Amino acid sequence: MSKISKNVILVLLTLTSSAFLLFQLYYYKHYLSTKNGSALSKSKGSRIGFDTTQWRAVKKFIMLTSSQNVPVFLIDPLILELINKNFEQVKNTSHASSTSECKFFCVPRDFTTFALQYQLWKNEEGWFRIAENMGFQCLKIESKDPRLDWIDSLSGTEIPLHYICKLASHAIHLVVFHERSGNYLWHGHLRLKGHIDRKFVPFRKLQFGRYPGAFDRPELQQITVDGLDVLIPKDPMHFLQEIPHSRFIECRYKEARAFFQQYLDDNTVEAMTFQKHAKELLQLAAKTLKKLGVRFWLSSGTCLGWYRQCSIIPYSKDVDLGIFIQDYKSDIISAFQDAGLPLKHKFGKPNSSPHCLFCHRYLFPKFTLCWTEFVDTKFRVPCETVEYIEANYGKTWKIPIKTWDWKRSPPNVWPNGVWPISEWDEVIQLY
Amino acid sequence: MDDWKPSPLIKPFGARKKRSWYLTCKYKLTNQRALRRFCQTGAVLFLLVTVIVNIKLILDTRRAISEASEDLEPEQDYDEALGRLEPPRRRGSGPRRVLDVEVYSSRSKVYVAVDGTTVLEDEAQEQGRGIHVIVLNQATGHVMAKRVFDTYSPHEDEAMVLFLNMVAPGRVLICTIKDEGSFHLKDTAKALLRSLGSQAGPALGWRDTWAFVGRKGGPVLGEKHSKSPALSSWGDPVLLKTDVPLSSAEEAECHWADTELNRRRRRFCSKVEGYGSVCSCKDPTPIEFSPDPLPDSKVLNVPVAVIAGNRPNYLYRMLRSLLSAQGVSPQMITVFIDGYYEEPMDVVALFGLRGIQHTPISIKNARVSQHYKASLTATFNLFPEAKFAVVLEEDLDIAVDFFSFLSQSIHLLEEDDSLYCISAWNDQGYEHTAEDPALLYRVETMPGLGWVLRKSLYKEELEPKWPTPEKLWDWDMWMRMPEQRRGRECIIPDVSRSYHFGIVGLNMNGYFHEAYFKKHKFNTVPGVQLRNVDSLKKDAYEVEVHRLLSEAEVLDHSKNPCEDSFLPDTEGHTYVAFIRMEKDDDFTTWTQLAKCLRIWDLDVRGNHRGLWRLFRKKNHFLVDEEATINHPNFLGVTPKGGGRPRSCRTDMRPPPGTCRAGLEGLDSFFFFLDWGAALRVGQALTQETAVPNPWTGPPGAHLLMQTHSETLRH
Repeated sequence: MSKISKNVILVLLTLTSSAFLLFQLYYYKHYLSTKNGSALSKSKGSRIGFDTTQWRAVKKFIMLTSSQNVPVFLIDPLILELINKNFEQVKNTSHASSTSECKFFCVPRDFTTFALQYQLWKNEEGWFRIAENMGFQCLKIESKDPRLDWIDSLSGTEIPLHYICKLASHAIHLVVFHERSGNYLWHGHLRLKGHIDRKFVPFRKLQFGRYPGAFDRPELQQITVDGLDVLIPKDPMHFLQEIPHSRFIECRYKEARAFFQQYLDDNTVEAMTFQKHAKELLQLAAKTLKKLGVRFWLSSGTCLGWYRQCSIIPYSKDVDLGIFIQDYKSDIISAFQDAGLPLKHKFGKPNSSPHCLFCHRYLFPKFTLCWTEFVDTKFRVPCETVEYIEANYGKTWKIPIKTWDWKRSPPNVWPNGVWPISEWDEVIQLY
Repeated sequence: MDDWKPSPLIKPFGARKKRSWYLTCKYKLTNQRALRRFCQTGAVLFLLVTVIVNIKLILDTRRAISEASEDLEPEQDYDEALGRLEPPRRRGSGPRRVLDVEVYSSRSKVYVAVDGTTVLEDEAQEQGRGIHVIVLNQATGHVMAKRVFDTYSPHEDEAMVLFLNMVAPGRVLICTIKDEGSFHLKDTAKALLRSLGSQAGPALGWRDTWAFVGRKGGPVLGEKHSKSPALSSWGDPVLLKTDVPLSSAEEAECHWADTELNRRRRRFCSKVEGYGSVCSCKDPTPIEFSPDPLPDSKVLNVPVAVIAGNRPNYLYRMLRSLLSAQGVSPQMITVFIDGYYEEPMDVVALFGLRGIQHTPISIKNARVSQHYKASLTATFNLFPEAKFAVVLEEDLDIAVDFFSFLSQSIHLLEEDDSLYCISAWNDQGYEHTAEDPALLYRVETMPGLGWVLRKSLYKEELEPKWPTPEKLWDWDMWMRMPEQRRGRECIIPDVSRSYHFGIVGLNMNGYFHEAYFKKHKFNTVPGVQLRNVDSLKKDAYEVEVHRLLSEAEVLDHSKNPCEDSFLPDTEGHTYVAFIRMEKDDDFTTWTQLAKCLRIWDLDVRGNHRGLWRLFRKKNHFLVDEEATINHPNFLGVTPKGGGRPRSCRTDMRPPPGTCRAGLEGLDSFFFFLDWGAALRVGQALTQETAVPNPWTGPPGAHLLMQTHSETLRH
């Protein structure tokens, strides 16, 4: 009897423990697969990859934004690139019709970047809270409003620049675009303040926010990607091309104010008429060159005016723009003439003979181009502005000089000579 | 084997497998002891493995949980950082802290010091007379409100009662008298002081000095009083030193539900006092209004700039009315505060709006003017796409259909170059002279007080030549100058969509407000459909005016225009009266008429090519310059009653006997006004902290003088 019962107990024990073991093994495996998105269960067949953390974070985020009427659009370079490549395919699978494979949102990455136009956002306050209730951990980066910078003595409520919302191991980066004079969108620099945890997300891998940036206001379109409805720029290609050259620098309003305190502003009627005229000219030139797709920047006196005093130098009597020689097109002149801007001088032509009458070489150190805002318009300027200006005007550029001869005064003008094809820029002078 | 039923508690697949394996074992190895032993050991090993896996699972889960909680930490840091922004609270420094409060009351000086810090000091001459009241937070000791009630003057005690009643129970109240505070301290106020526990308060006499510290609804913490020995002298100065025990923060706060709105409310209510039921624990007044949206609103994306100074109570009232207006979009509102004042900023934050502070530049009117410029520039910078901006001031009530009114009329600004602005204010729209909320006018004068500015006008014309800080000009006077206005006109409604309630201000005082603003008509009807908006365009309006004039009945000009019987007791008629104008800018007669109509007479307002339109006794009443009578459109007019205009029309200057009689009753009125103006000048000269011009009228003083001297000349 005791023998039998002992056997029975053993058997029962074995049975229960094995049952437990099986259950635990099953659970453990399930647990592991949810933890590392990479360990997908390949057996699911029809819907591959839809349980990755990336996809789920994006899905939750889109649910959140659509329920809160936050008009976000996708600007993630990686995903936009993918979408752009498979654009036809994406367009054809218009609706959630049997997307069998997660192709875009499941790509391994640390962030998914969305953007938002701030003035379209109606309930900013409640949003944060709801996001946190949904399981996101959110970080908000704020800063003062650069649009108030140049008005002396204004200080206002800070504006949000970036939101980073983390769900498990994936983070959504929401770039807040602000509207600026000149019909473009601006986003700020993601600067981590003292109390922010630097290990919250790998900040170094962020695609936006290393510098402030400027973008054309994109038109948007609705598409369905991986079963999710998202807004993307109508021309993803154009947007992608803008990204590497989007760096924006603000005019140095503080220094400009100091300058005007020292040298006083010229408020005569002539000065104001010239400034008004020059402003219109600059805006017209910008419009014309943009239509042609020619990159250009503020050069010489205009650039100095921007950098030193954030305005047009009233006695400069002209407006200077520069273009790279490789961007030069012959139809620029005719386009300017069509726009009502006769060309007075032109310096240097591509492959031109070195015998041209007005040939002047301006030597500048190598520079890159940044966006800035000037006379209510978006313009490019050399990012290395000081070097550029010093090459042109010497170290004393801070002191205004009223008599300036563009042919002789600049230290970097070489009277007539061979035109080196590359690296040097061409300066077109208008007025 | 088929009839074997698995236990419901055991997983069927595993069980069956185990069972069959066991059975095989059993059958094959029944009598083999060694093998049985082996089986047993196997089973025990199996058990061990299970245990190990179990432990592993537990450890794993634990690690996952601890990781998750680590993830949560940054958020907590962030919350703490937010907490740091809130006003500093005295924490942990002993269970009960004590404030050391000093209060001084005398004829020429009062001061209050809390823990050695002077929170009130007033020894200026001819100023600050009456009872000074300070409210402290009972948990932090912060000053939450500071007021002075000149209870030597009438009605100020009522304001004091109102204020003290609004203070939340438990707050620390400090009162002190400077100079005189009892002359108009009526029984209600004295009863209130008694209810606060004051002994001397109810018995205050002429020129007594008095200092009081007490908790609202709680014990008196200190009181000193000195009676004035004689009518011609003052009581001795008193200095009250007392200790005020601080209570805990929990006691000082209400227990509102934890929502975003209440968070804002809590922050606000822990800092300031004197806003009535917004901080009431039981039934706080809402701070979100969600009025109906406006269908097809044309002004949804038009930014609204609220120009404010340091009048936080006004700002509070103004924002309430603005946020209750149908079709308002709060994210388009920006409040521009002239100066680094905290309390207006707190009010702005209470409503969750955008507030911008402006370092004061220059003084008085020029300061206001510079503040306007910075605010307008900032508005168009913040909303670069906007073609218009709505400009409001902090002492205006906004009509419920304000945005509906703008939405229906704003296209005129786009389509008609001869327009300068759209304004919600009719300078001549008093209770007795305005009637029709659907009616619009074109006027040559810019009224301001809630108006729409075109961006192109500002950016291309006004901003570049805006008066510089050293020019002490009023911005609105400057905007009205012909160089700026260039013959353009403004659209105004007959019944104003804004109401000017400001009594304290740079160009403002009680008497002036009473005479010129209090009786202003203000539209309270929602969703008014404006009539014939397109007839307000330049040419169409001339046609309309001529139609009106040709239909109008000419009034009996032998009657005294100042008398009520000048207009017949009819309803819905259109009448016209004529006045003499020697030149286009000769408004002497109009000014006289405006005086006796008790409308705006300090300068000429509301005219359109020598025509004024108003309502009298529910009749449309036109006042036209005489020259128009020769207009071709006028041939069909059949003068009624007195036939051709006579006596009063032409003779208002110098006024003949009959008319004079009518005007005589008004003489005291004139003096009344002059007095007000004189006061106003005094105030303008002495007031240190300038505020935006509440009165978009002229810098009244000199204009008024001018008018007055003209009156005297005749």
